Amino acid sequence: MTKMREVAIVGVGMHPWGTFPDKSMQEMGVEAIVAALKDANMTWRDIQSCAFGAYMWIADRGGIPSLLMGTSIARMMGETGIPMVNCVNACASGQAILREAVLAVASGHVDTAIAVAADKSAGGFFRPQLREARPTKFDRGAENDTDYIRFCMTGETNPAYWAMELKRRMYEVGTTDDDLALAKHITSFGSVHNPYARYRKVFTMEEIKASAYVAEPLRLFEICATSDGAAAVIVTTAENAQKFNKKPLLVNAITVGTPTFGDPTIRLTFCSSYPRPGVPDLSESRNAIAAIYKMAGMKPSDIDIIELPDNSSWHYLVYLECILQMKKGEAEKMLRSGKTHPITGELPVCSGGGVAAQGEAVVAQGLSQVCQLVRQMRGECGEGQVKKTKLNVGLAQTYGYAGNNAACIISRAW
Amino acid sequence: MPDKKKVPLIEGLFTWPSDKPQLIASRCKKCGALFFPKVPYCGNPDCPKDKANMEVVNISNTGTIYTYTIHQYAPAIPFKMEPFKPYGVAMVDVPEGLRVLGMTTTTEGLRIGQKVEMTVGTLYEDAENAYITWMWKPVEK
Repeated sequence: MTKMREVAIVGVGMHPWGTFPDKSMQEMGVEAIVAALKDANMTWRDIQSCAFGAYMWIADRGGIPSLLMGTSIARMMGETGIPMVNCVNACASGQAILREAVLAVASGHVDTAIAVAADKSAGGFFRPQLREARPTKFDRGAENDTDYIRFCMTGETNPAYWAMELKRRMYEVGTTDDDLALAKHITSFGSVHNPYARYRKVFTMEEIKASAYVAEPLRLFEICATSDGAAAVIVTTAENAQKFNKKPLLVNAITVGTPTFGDPTIRLTFCSSYPRPGVPDLSESRNAIAAIYKMAGMKPSDIDIIELPDNSSWHYLVYLECILQMKKGEAEKMLRSGKTHPITGELPVCSGGGVAAQGEAVVAQGLSQVCQLVRQMRGECGEGQVKKTKLNVGLAQTYGYAGNNAACIISRAW
Repeated sequence: MPDKKKVPLIEGLFTWPSDKPQLIASRCKKCGALFFPKVPYCGNPDCPKDKANMEVVNISNTGTIYTYTIHQYAPAIPFKMEPFKPYGVAMVDVPEGLRVLGMTTTTEGLRIGQKVEMTVGTLYEDAENAYITWMWKPVEK
């Protein structure tokens, strides 16, 4: 195989996050694609390859067309005969498909590619596909559906899992109720001027701590809201990037992380783990981070701005440590220091308010994080622009359940 | 009125009927790794994918709480608990080295490091049956 080509992001487009009962996923996806094409100064016919996020809860809404998202969106954008793949890696899908688009260009297979994801996750807890409390004769294989078993027989929702990990963290390093509220409070400062965020307001410590427990010790305002959203990212060769956009972002590294055997975490959708000595928790996330630093030839101190997956306040703390490769318990100190304030911080984290403000639209989440990094690094965020001026290198990591993770490092290429 | 028949929500996950129910797991004869529910192959990347290496074992019905939460909100369908009340969910370490999920029989007095024993509890009933799952019951303060 010949040497890979360098690849740059030249177009980003987003549909706002929120609830949009009158729009289909495909409509939202088209809006995101049109915005990304405009940003890249391209037309749909310039796109040579596509990677789409495949919607996961098709039993609830969307059906097969939303699983086979590519060709159903092509029915609206116009069928041009190009390669389209549909991919699911839970919440890490967005960056997983961006990786597919990047590889399609890097390999020389095509010169321009787009990653697109549209999602309607609004509506409460993520849940199994089967609808009956007890499997019926039509539900063959339920005994092997660990997602169904964990949900129906152990009552483990996603927040329940996060809360259990958090409870253990509190026991081990003394994380407090105030730390959890502070993660949400500080991050919410980024949301106020983010036109794509679902909640554009500063949440006070008092209102966060007054919100009800969903799964103790995690409160309602410390957990992201399931939401609708869509995003698209266009990549081309770094060599030609400036023909399309004056401010391209080089993709230094992008990967998908999966677990190491012996990880002590009982990952969501599973019912047990077999911890082995020397294997860390959240190995899928640590594997992704280690891989992108190696690929980019960088280290944590090279990163100027971070988008981390603050699906809950627990995530904020563990992913800050994961990305900066810190010891367990150091995230709380850094959070309290104000260093990670999304707008005024020395190391801005979640500059658009994060998943906490944005809401979570599963397969599109990873792309929205990349879009936010790109807008900040180009200096396009207006009143929501971070105060820090040196924004050469950005890192985004996305959490996904069932051991799915993805992360990337991008840098200024103009 | 006689007690309703207790039926596992999904069969084959724990020994039933039994006075001392146990989770049914798979154990790799080569590396000793345990998996619940059962799996056809050992998930150790260094073990051969040979079904003959896997044996079905019943897991100890005692363990220690690694962590837990009290779930206050009612989950969506297909979860069914009637009547709904807040419940505990725990990760429990059993002596064989497996960490396993399960509801707790109580929301009171739970703590990390607490000794628990496996039992069963009812989620809901219909006209004939009570549908049960495995649960962890504290056996010390």
